[in-house]
Amino acid sequence: MEKYNLLRKILINYTDNIMEQLILELKKQIIEVLNLEDVKPEDIDSQAPLFGEGLGLDSIDALELIVLMEKNYGIKLSDPAQGKEIFKSVETMAEYIEANRKK
Amino acid sequence: MMEIKAYSRITADKMVVNGSTVYSSSDGENINLTDLYRHLGIDYPKFFKMDNLCKAGFLGAETIIRDAGMDTVTPKKDCDIVLFNSTSSLDDDIAYNNTIEDDANYFPSPSVFVYTLANIVTGEIAIRNKIMGESSFYVLKEFSSSIIYSVVKETAQETSANAVLCGWADFLNNTPDVLLMLLQRTDDGKIQFTAENINKLYR
Repeated sequence: MEKYNLLRKILINYTDNIMEQLILELKKQIIEVLNLEDVKPEDIDSQAPLFGEGLGLDSIDALELIVLMEKNYGIKLSDPAQGKEIFKSVETMAEYIEANRKK
Repeated sequence: MMEIKAYSRITADKMVVNGSTVYSSSDGENINLTDLYRHLGIDYPKFFKMDNLCKAGFLGAETIIRDAGMDTVTPKKDCDIVLFNSTSSLDDDIAYNNTIEDDANYFPSPSVFVYTLANIVTGEIAIRNKIMGESSFYVLKEFSSSIIYSVVKETAQETSANAVLCGWADFLNNTPDVLLMLLQRTDDGKIQFTAENINKLYR
């Protein structure tokens, strides 16, 4: 039982670490492709809304994020309506990418 | 009679506003528009999303509009924007083509595509300054002070505008070529709006 708990803890830490790295990587990519010149990765709240409030992105930015996902992670959004859920925040984007990435 | 209340000129290596050099590039390099933006102390994050033509036009307009005491919040229904250039949006067209020319790396960029029209620069300036009069952009074979004079004069007559932001806004090969003028129906001894004076300010 102790071994199981230890392995579980290691696995959770490993997964958390991968997600943290992906979130940081995503923030850097978002800043670059959306030309958010005065924004640093640490300025972006992973759970804050990407559109409207938060980063205040617009519809062209949304299209650019769709291109980013296809170009960097091989993910093609088959249903544009999915975007609303996926692009809620950097965290939801990272979760979707982690579950669906092809590269 | 319209007079040139203020003007700005951006060339490969410097920016001049009303005859005074406000910024020069260093070491003979071409002017960097983002450096110029920071030098002018402007706070408008959308600037970073613009293509080079819009950035150049925006900076040229920003300096003289502020200089004339016009703000960014009051709607200006009696102000027109009339701009000209000779390369249209070619600088951005090339940038967009770079995103689609390789079949193996074919990712058309929406944010580059939206700037593949020269008249977007008039829209960017109008949005920033709430200019709500006539807005037009003409692509000429080459710089022509007489055509600029005639078209702007006719436009101002037709719309009865009290102010016109007009002039040349071009950008290609990392080189801005901008002469923007703010015209007003005043009589306070400033430069008269004539083809000859446009030419003098451009050369």
